Amino acid sequence: MMSPATATELGIADGELVELEAGGRSVELPVCLLPGQARHSLAVALGYGRTAAGQVGNGVGVDVYPLRTLAAPHILRGVSVRGTGRSHALATTQDHFAIDTIGFAERNARAGTLVREATLDAYLADPHVIHAHDHHPPLISLWKDHEYEGEQWGMAVDLNTCIGCNACVVACQAENNIPVVGREQVLAQREMHWIRVDRYFRTDPGLTMGEVEDAAVVFQPMACVHCENAPCEQVCPVAATQHTRDGLNAMVYNRCVGTRYCSNNCPFKVRRFNFFNYHKELAETTMMQFNPEVTVRARGVMEKCTFCVQRIEAKRIAARNERRPLRDGEIVPACAQTCPTRAITFGDLNDEGSAVSRSREEPRSYATLAELNIRPRTHYLARLSNPADGGAPAHAEGHADDGAHGKESA
Amino acid sequence: MSTSTAADLSYLDNTGTDPAVRARLVVGDNDFHSITEKVCGIVEQPRTPPAWWVLFAISSSLTLVLFAMIGYLVTTGIGVWGLQVPVSWGYAIVNFVFWVGIGHAGTLISAILFLLRQRWRTSINRFAEGMTIFAVVCAGIFPGIHIGRVWLAYWLFPIPNQMLMWPNFRSPLLWDVFAVGTYATVSLLFWYMGMIPDLASLRDRAKTRIRYYAYGLLSLGWRSSNRHWHRFEFAYLLLASLATPLVLSVHSVVSFDFAVSIMPGWHTTIFPPYFVAGAIFSGFAMVVTLIIPTRKIFGLEEIITARHLENMAKIMLATGMMVGLAYSTEFFIAWYSGNRYEAFTFLNRAFGPYAWAYWTMVTCNVVVPQIFWSRRLRNNPAVLWVASILINVGMWFERFVIVVSSLSRDYLPTSWGYYRPTIIDVLTFVGSFGLFFTLFLLFVRFLPIIGMAEVKGVMPQAHLDRPGHRGHGDYHGDIAASEVV
Amino acid sequence: MSERTAPAAGEPGALYGYLVEFDKVDELLVGARAVRDAGYTRWDAHTPFVIHGLDAAMGVKKTVLPYLVFGAGLTGTVGGIALQWWTNAVDYPYLISGKPLFSLPANIPVAFETTILFAALTALVAMLALNGLPRLYHPLFTNRAFKRATDDRFFISIEAADPLFDRSATRELLESLSGRTVEVIEEA
Repeated sequence: MMSPATATELGIADGELVELEAGGRSVELPVCLLPGQARHSLAVALGYGRTAAGQVGNGVGVDVYPLRTLAAPHILRGVSVRGTGRSHALATTQDHFAIDTIGFAERNARAGTLVREATLDAYLADPHVIHAHDHHPPLISLWKDHEYEGEQWGMAVDLNTCIGCNACVVACQAENNIPVVGREQVLAQREMHWIRVDRYFRTDPGLTMGEVEDAAVVFQPMACVHCENAPCEQVCPVAATQHTRDGLNAMVYNRCVGTRYCSNNCPFKVRRFNFFNYHKELAETTMMQFNPEVTVRARGVMEKCTFCVQRIEAKRIAARNERRPLRDGEIVPACAQTCPTRAITFGDLNDEGSAVSRSREEPRSYATLAELNIRPRTHYLARLSNPADGGAPAHAEGHADDGAHGKESA
Repeated sequence: MSTSTAADLSYLDNTGTDPAVRARLVVGDNDFHSITEKVCGIVEQPRTPPAWWVLFAISSSLTLVLFAMIGYLVTTGIGVWGLQVPVSWGYAIVNFVFWVGIGHAGTLISAILFLLRQRWRTSINRFAEGMTIFAVVCAGIFPGIHIGRVWLAYWLFPIPNQMLMWPNFRSPLLWDVFAVGTYATVSLLFWYMGMIPDLASLRDRAKTRIRYYAYGLLSLGWRSSNRHWHRFEFAYLLLASLATPLVLSVHSVVSFDFAVSIMPGWHTTIFPPYFVAGAIFSGFAMVVTLIIPTRKIFGLEEIITARHLENMAKIMLATGMMVGLAYSTEFFIAWYSGNRYEAFTFLNRAFGPYAWAYWTMVTCNVVVPQIFWSRRLRNNPAVLWVASILINVGMWFERFVIVVSSLSRDYLPTSWGYYRPTIIDVLTFVGSFGLFFTLFLLFVRFLPIIGMAEVKGVMPQAHLDRPGHRGHGDYHGDIAASEVV
Repeated sequence: MSERTAPAAGEPGALYGYLVEFDKVDELLVGARAVRDAGYTRWDAHTPFVIHGLDAAMGVKKTVLPYLVFGAGLTGTVGGIALQWWTNAVDYPYLISGKPLFSLPANIPVAFETTILFAALTALVAMLALNGLPRLYHPLFTNRAFKRATDDRFFISIEAADPLFDRSATRELLESLSGRTVEVIEEA
């Protein structure tokens, strides 16, 4: 790993193979540009490039032990770095840092509206500070709004407590029988996670990409937000995705013919497509590991977060058998169950006393891309920070966009 | 057949700048019989020309490649293509829109020019209609194979089934099924109906039993009866009137696939007229690409005259400018809307990772047709031919830019991506050209490529005596008696 | 009708009618007017292409085709909308994007296409049906000269089944025209 500024200085491109030389030994490694790595320093990971780790571990990564000595087991000094001009494709589930210039500028400008933050001082001064971005025309519909009665499921994700640990991603994968697709498919951008942790770097305004050295990181767990006016539903020609009575955006696997139109029309790109039969070559023992409550999806169908509908139904049936209403907090999706900081709350939006309904009342509550009038069922609670110096208004650079927005709000 | 010597070809030039002088629609010393001879002669050659066999061998091999690719796709999965999330539609949809667009020229020439009394259409309409059918066949393949479970494609039709469930009529894809299905059906009807009298000509000239029976069956026992002609003409007029809104609706509905979505770069009301103009543009380009070699090889310069080519060049110039206007309007609206997502999509098109595709499109579609302002250049078949191919390239890229570049960078920057086609994508596309040319070559060899009955109807000899025209109103006053050749 | 004995009308060998050939369009038009004025009803002109003015010269009545096509188009519109309403709002309703079960804007494209489809199919099928096609065999096809009806010659035929048909009078009428010799067509 190398900071972009260091790479610019050394004339090294992202993904380029470099030769590291120290003490007469050398290894060849691909470079991954990440802001935050201290200037003129590099980080390499130990434990890769194994030769006797079996099918999964063999030949993955590069063994950097040759550089390690007893004298300097952790930090090597005086390493020389030489670019080779060749490159290596690093498989990541989202773009790491490198991008073209206009994409870089736009990404930085958007991050502030997608993942909202404020300093504590700013929040105390005006609790609605995080809605300062909500400049959009009134959200009106051509039709009379649909009345949602009975239990209506919703989720809230508190960005204040989320630590970006990815536990929810793994829990979801285990619960919902999500295939592990491997490096080749990840490189082809076909990862299957139903929930992912979106990460943005907050760089100082005015810097070009090659000048960035340090950056703050903001992140946001992102799964299907179960829009009430779901754009995916109306485009499906076979109605394979439609709304349930309890407000879930349901995916009907056995009805899906795989036009992938829903994925195109999803502004969050949280829908995942089975490009191949990913379950075809699994061992019997691996198959036995699957959750029997959840369908294993066939080749050619779309899939996505269900709000763990199998858990909802199990609790609902149990409650009915016991002739009692569902209690708030009784239903816990896998991601919420696993979250070490309890950042994810799930419950009934029609129950005013539920935790998720109460979180909607908070001034920090916002929905990503609400201006599209899609009415997401998942809301986020903006992150508040309390920097030592009181902090510059945290979303100032988010407001770098503002020529255009100013006009709209006027 | 021509009475002039090879050296003196000036009689073939019926282009002109004086709008008061109507161009002759058929040049040279032709009568009804010579038209029949020329057109039927192509089909009746006892030996198939070697060049035809060479071309047929190439195109049918490519068709096999297409089917092999489809077979591999169906057995393995959509993953053999370069698709991913966010770009879930790639070559298949680009090719679909490209071919459907090409498939617009035929019906446009047949129907719209018919209603507009553009009688020069008669020499090229059959040819263009044939091209339309083949393009629509190619287009129809792609939406069929691009779905994840091809074997369930019939679920897109409202057929009662074991799930007791119906398709979702709110989806633009379903509108597409109806629009393209109707278009294919009506184009086929129109093409076939227009061909019935000409098939009868082939039947009556048949020298072998097989030809006699084959063309006899196809011509349905047409006996040139004027009572039949009366209804035939009415049916033709009705079909033209129905096909005119249809042809405009088809690409509009195709554009709804994009316009009805909420993706920046797709969600725009300019799409229907923009797509229709583009379709006409690309359709004429493909007609020109095919017709220039065909008229040369079969010596049809007296029927498909220089003036025909010039008219098509003018249409390409006009529609090219419309497309150019649409490109600039999109940019203006992206800025004027104040929508940051929309604005970025267009900035990204012109200067982002797909800028190469964008500028290829602009060069081919907006810059290249400008050469048609020059009378000398547009009347040079070689220049026209090359330009028409470039326009086809540009129009393919237009669809690529719309589909791929818009999808590759949508709302959340974390899911941005870059789409790369695989070799399977490319070979499938190339294979579709194989199918197109295979069908086209079969058409040229076995069916009348020029509507003889219609060409005869616009020849001066057909109008020596004309009291009381039939109300349906072809305008005949423009043929001066002195023009009779 | 004259002294026709065996075979009976319609049998092989029976007289179908007379056929006369013309070289030029204006000769045909003059001929057609003459036959029309003589009051014949079961007769026809045969031309390789549409000749403008011939309908008037023959006194052909306007076809009912447009009404049929209009009716079919209307059926298509109503059918298209009814199909969408019944399938999506009645038989199997489902909630899509918070939209109503039935709303006209989303149903226009399909209704439009079904209108065109029904009308166009009717235009072709009704045209053929009204013309009595396909009819692969016809007595006129026995005449060699008639083969040029699809090339460059023009013909007038009068059927023996016409009430005014008379072997000699009809022949005289046709011979008075500027066509070539009058040919006798028999059923085969």
